[in-house]
Amino acid sequence: MAESPARTAFAEEALTHLDTLYRGALRLTRDPDQAQDLVQEAYLRALRYQHSYQAGTNMKAWLFAIMRNLFWDRFKGSRKEDVSLDDVGEFVLYDKLRDEGAKPEADVLDKLAASEVVEAVEKLPPLHREVVLLVDVEGFSYKDAAQALGVPIGTVMSRLHRARQQLQKSLYDYALESGIVRGSNNNQVHE
Amino acid sequence: MDCPDCKEKLDRYVDRELSSTEVLELQLHLEGCPDCSDQYEFQAHLKRLVKHSCDCDSAPAAFREKLRQILT
Repeated sequence: MAESPARTAFAEEALTHLDTLYRGALRLTRDPDQAQDLVQEAYLRALRYQHSYQAGTNMKAWLFAIMRNLFWDRFKGSRKEDVSLDDVGEFVLYDKLRDEGAKPEADVLDKLAASEVVEAVEKLPPLHREVVLLVDVEGFSYKDAAQALGVPIGTVMSRLHRARQQLQKSLYDYALESGIVRGSNNNQVHE
Repeated sequence: MDCPDCKEKLDRYVDRELSSTEVLELQLHLEGCPDCSDQYEFQAHLKRLVKHSCDCDSAPAAFREKLRQILT
């Protein structure tokens, strides 16, 4: 039986956000097959609950909320299983590099491989990974990220702050291990 | 605005989350402070690096078509 025009139009609009959902699912599950299963289930659920979407609001955030809730229900079992971040303290990569004499600091970033950056993001606990995905990768505002995650804006900001510190620490550790910087004074970026 | 105030607001500036008044104050400080300006460039560079490293994956075409068949 042919779908109604309204359902088809809704599905078509929802599919314009497929890349965002797929990338998010891929980073959360770290598995392409699981990501596709998760996204397909999210779209089916979105159509089932189409009536709960308020026209004119942010459909991408609404869809992401459905997808990440499914992720937590299905792949993690319980939100309590989320592991907390390592306590890296106040780690600011810029300050660290400057204090160690690595100049210019931005050259260090240019030497980091994209795969290492992805790995550093994927090492974040999911609750912190998803806020980096939304704000840094997909360009969500704090307000839209808060809607997608079902948390207050202040929680988005605090998770983002901690996630970025952990991320910068991971990138610094990689830069040390790979010889991009030396972990001592008079540090220089290697050519 | 002093340097600690500026650094406290840099993340929100990079994320475009400051009010227009705060943006003006911060930009004024950045123009006169090479240290904070360098740190801003670094933070913005890092955000771009994370984005470009992570946003290269698109949904496979076959998967997109399969979803379209299922949903429409």
